[in-house]
Amino acid sequence: MAKIVELPRLSDTMEEGVIAKWHVAEGDKVKRGQLIAEIETDKATMEFESFDAGVVLRLLAPEGETMAIGTPIAVLGKPGEDVEAALAAHGSGGATAAPAEAAPEPAAKAAPEPAPEPAAAPTEAAAAPAPSATPAPPASPAEGDRAPGRIAASPLARRLAREHGIELSSITGSGPHGRVIKTDVEAAAAGRAAAPGAAPAAASVPAGVELDASGRPLLVRPDEPVKLSQMRKAIARRMSQANAEIPHFYLTTVVDMDRAVALRDQLKSAIEAKVSFNDLVLMAASRALRVHPEVNAYWDGQTVVRRGNVHLGVAVAVDEGLIVPVVRHADQKGLRELAEQARDLGLRGRDKKLAPQEMSGSTFTVSNLGMFGIDEFSAVINPGEGAILAVGAIADTVVVVDGQVGVGKRMKMTLACDHRVMDGATGAKFLATMRGLLEQPLAMLA
Amino acid sequence: MPLLQIREALRAAIDEEMGRDDRVFVMGEEVGYYDGAYKVTEGLLKKYGEKRVVDTPIAEAGFAGVGVGAAMAGLRPIIEFMTFNFSAVAFDQILNNAAKLRHLSNGQFTLPIVFRGPNAAAHMLSSTHSQAFESFYCGFPGVKVISVATPYDAKGLLKSAIRDDNPVIFFESEVMYSVKGEVPDEEYLIPIGKADIKRPGDDVTVITWGQGVAVALAAAQLCEADGLQCEVIDLRTLRPLDDEAVLTSVRKTNRAVLVYHGWPYGGTGAEISDRIQRLAFDHLDAPVERVCYEDVNMPYAENLENLVIPSPERAAEAIKRIAYVRV
Repeated sequence: MAKIVELPRLSDTMEEGVIAKWHVAEGDKVKRGQLIAEIETDKATMEFESFDAGVVLRLLAPEGETMAIGTPIAVLGKPGEDVEAALAAHGSGGATAAPAEAAPEPAAKAAPEPAPEPAAAPTEAAAAPAPSATPAPPASPAEGDRAPGRIAASPLARRLAREHGIELSSITGSGPHGRVIKTDVEAAAAGRAAAPGAAPAAASVPAGVELDASGRPLLVRPDEPVKLSQMRKAIARRMSQANAEIPHFYLTTVVDMDRAVALRDQLKSAIEAKVSFNDLVLMAASRALRVHPEVNAYWDGQTVVRRGNVHLGVAVAVDEGLIVPVVRHADQKGLRELAEQARDLGLRGRDKKLAPQEMSGSTFTVSNLGMFGIDEFSAVINPGEGAILAVGAIADTVVVVDGQVGVGKRMKMTLACDHRVMDGATGAKFLATMRGLLEQPLAMLA
Repeated sequence: MPLLQIREALRAAIDEEMGRDDRVFVMGEEVGYYDGAYKVTEGLLKKYGEKRVVDTPIAEAGFAGVGVGAAMAGLRPIIEFMTFNFSAVAFDQILNNAAKLRHLSNGQFTLPIVFRGPNAAAHMLSSTHSQAFESFYCGFPGVKVISVATPYDAKGLLKSAIRDDNPVIFFESEVMYSVKGEVPDEEYLIPIGKADIKRPGDDVTVITWGQGVAVALAAAQLCEADGLQCEVIDLRTLRPLDDEAVLTSVRKTNRAVLVYHGWPYGGTGAEISDRIQRLAFDHLDAPVERVCYEDVNMPYAENLENLVIPSPERAAEAIKRIAYVRV
């Protein structure tokens, strides 16, 4: 019997996925372990290798469609096997086939909102340098040449009147400017009264379109719904949950970074180590979490759970949104190792090359917007953690030291805490420890 | 039937004709190693090599002239202009050489050459890159002029153009290269000079071509609400004109609107309008209307460009006006 391939669960938080790309076509032979598709999950684009061998009898899922885990995406089997029977046995018709090709799109961008038009017909009179600001009433090109006493009639109306033997002068014209038109002659021939005169359409500015000072319409652009990536959906879901469930409070402190800056400069020139300020923050956080295990904790629904390990989540901005790769056992790693791992995770994260396990299991998260010039901000706690540290830019600041005004490097950090897990003083003590470490960074390295 | 984009249909036409006749070759800016500015010639260099897919310097007068010479010598060049705006630089080669040499040589030379590329406004390219050239190239004898709006027409007409022994100007559009449509697998040709009724109707004749086709069809849709059935005629070939198709329809509907990308003063729209009033005078119940660019240089600002380019709403207004529909 042919085998149904279902959309697999590729990460612990994955609920739905998208076939980013098929690597096989119908009729292809597939070996066990062969790459058959790339699947976009809420975290990364994963390679999906076949659990079975056989011939691809049918691809059920089109690329780009979002499907729930377990949705049949393909049928494998021997050539000639009954796909329908297999699907029926499985109890599903599978993902729907790809929609047929779109109809030819309209040329240009055929203004979605009717743009008001200057009403002048394209006659030579329109040779003015620009369309007139106030729409003139629509002018018929034939209007100007009418001599007094002459009856206005369309060429067709004249011919029809002649053929019916009706005097044009006996017919009331219903066209623009009393022009006798076909329907008038036909009505007269049938002995009926002419239909009420049809006036040409008047061009007008559609309601709701605003004009500029010169009377030209401002452009109306439509809203566009954005097709959500799996990542965007995951962020939306988890952050809504966090904001709804976790009672956040925030503590901000200023750190004297003069020594940290000097240390980093020395490390850079002395041993060519690529160490960022954020690496120093990660190191300080990992050490402070060991000193204050009550911050390395979370609310599991009934009680507070203190985490045994210190796994640091590091928020990384990527094109589609945000990912949080995890430096595991950060408290047991030295500065160089921390820096290398954070850098590697960040680079591979931007390329969507991280495995799901590299993005899960964090016990505390650091988010740094200093490189974007943000002085300070507050972050939303990652569900499953008790706190998150939001780090701002290091700025030259006017400071008073020993009664003297001077300039110093200062950095602001804001800790968001889950009030179910800890209180203000707990967070404050943790921040004080971190501040101490960053202000005496050699102590961390000793 | 396979669905192709216009760019793919054009490519298929060139590919088939190059495969069929080794005198056919492509020449222009970026047609080879870059696969074409709009990917029309994608893959052709790989398939046919540098002798038959020739990248040129940015020198339209030069490579248009080389094309004319090659055609005189018995080859069948397809000259790609990255846009027809750049053909202005090569205008003398087309006007005075391509269009005249068959006549000047008393038929000793034929000029089987196609000049093709996108024409008229796309979107926010401003005045020097938004020009509609049909009025220039239809304005003198010695060339044929084609403007296509569907993949089916694009393929069938480009093949005919390549096989024609006269210079053919072949208009495409930047904004329409990705328009999709059915194109049969089996070979077919569409004769030059034959219009196509894209939508039949009895009430108003709407004559259009190129980018105007989609606008006219959308306008026809809008007019249905007022009970008007428009007959939309896609001319496809602008020179020679399919008079019969136009006149047959106008004799039926007694009225005509032209919807096209191009300026109002003179030119192709004016020519068609003249033929209708002259050849179907006693059948007209209303003046012939034209919905085209305003008589200004194309503005860059999007709101102003929208005012200048014909919209379905503007076309529908004109249609209703000459159908004497009170709005």
